[in-house]
Amino acid sequence: MIIDTTQERLLVVSDLHVGNPYSAATRTLGDFFEYAEAGGYNLCINGDGFEILQARFASLAAESASVLRGIRRLIERGASVLYVVGNHDIALENFLSAWSGIQITPFLNVTSGGTRIRIEHGHLYDPSFVKSPRVYEWLTRAAGPLLHFYPDVYRVWTSYEEAKQRLRGALRSGTAPPSVYHEAAEMLLRRGFDAVVFGHTHQPEDTSIPSGGRYLNCGTWVRGGSFVEIDRGQVALRRWGD
Amino acid sequence: MFKKLITSSGEHGTELARTFADAELICREGESSAEMFVIRRGSVRVFKASPRGELELAVLTKGDFFGEMSVLEGLPRDASAQAVGEAEVLVMTAGALLVRLRRDPTFAFELLRRLSGRVRSLNARLVAALGNGGEPQERRFGEALLYQSEPKESGTAV
Repeated sequence: MIIDTTQERLLVVSDLHVGNPYSAATRTLGDFFEYAEAGGYNLCINGDGFEILQARFASLAAESASVLRGIRRLIERGASVLYVVGNHDIALENFLSAWSGIQITPFLNVTSGGTRIRIEHGHLYDPSFVKSPRVYEWLTRAAGPLLHFYPDVYRVWTSYEEAKQRLRGALRSGTAPPSVYHEAAEMLLRRGFDAVVFGHTHQPEDTSIPSGGRYLNCGTWVRGGSFVEIDRGQVALRRWGD
Repeated sequence: MFKKLITSSGEHGTELARTFADAELICREGESSAEMFVIRRGSVRVFKASPRGELELAVLTKGDFFGEMSVLEGLPRDASAQAVGEAEVLVMTAGALLVRLRRDPTFAFELLRRLSGRVRSLNARLVAALGNGGEPQERRFGEALLYQSEPKESGTAV
């Protein structure tokens, strides 16, 4: 199992949720894989890449085919592909090894151009998950059939999360308050990382932590797409299509 | 895009960042102290005395940690650590380690993985050192290990 890795050029995406009816990732990832290949990048899928928890097997198999073909092509062209386990694909924790050239890992400590970057899905800091992982899993599974019939439920949930964030920001005099993810990132940064990259929240973000270092979130490919680009120690959040 | 600055999230238990000058000792073999260290910047040389002189065990860099055995076992230091160039380390007491393990679960995973790797490496080096084909430096290392394994009145820990 790989945890420590040196990567000069790496693209990090998360929360593709391939196989889930609300995810549009398969329609846009093809071009993204071509971008990675043309730029000579390696690829990291930072959790919840495949929707193992909520998708029906038939949907997952059908939707995954083109994504796996894209990954296979990258590997054949010499790129390394790393897969960090998230909460919607937590079953992959049973396969922490190399599978058909894809390195599956619980988290990554990346060194790039002298910069140390932690890449982790981030669900381990989600209070709902930490409090009771089994209840969390059960509720997530239960939402699966609902999403199958009403994919727009995801849009309602996203709007709720965004409104909650705006409200919290407004209550704190216009500056964004530290979330549990900012606090987790700060803990990690204190032990020798320059940047921390999470996924999980579906909210793309690039935040300077006052005590030093940066917290970035890859966002999601469910609607649109954003990613983190690491290039010889330079770390940047990008929106696909910009 | 998306850039913003957040307000501070507050204190972190008893963790403390300390800077050491080049060649300054961070901890000394034989001393009693119960702190471990995580390197935030620079490099640290870990070494110990042996019957045949000073033995360098490792040169550690940013993100590496050392001194955890004294925290875990409450025994005197078994090796010394010295800054190579200016180095900044995070100093963690046992209490701070417990707080971190609770709030930073992957640190426990990394700690166990590192300790497991060290045991594996020591086993391999011991076998190599005691075999006929061992290099002189490896034989010295093996002898040092055997020297350490002799029973003592009070234990020691790196």
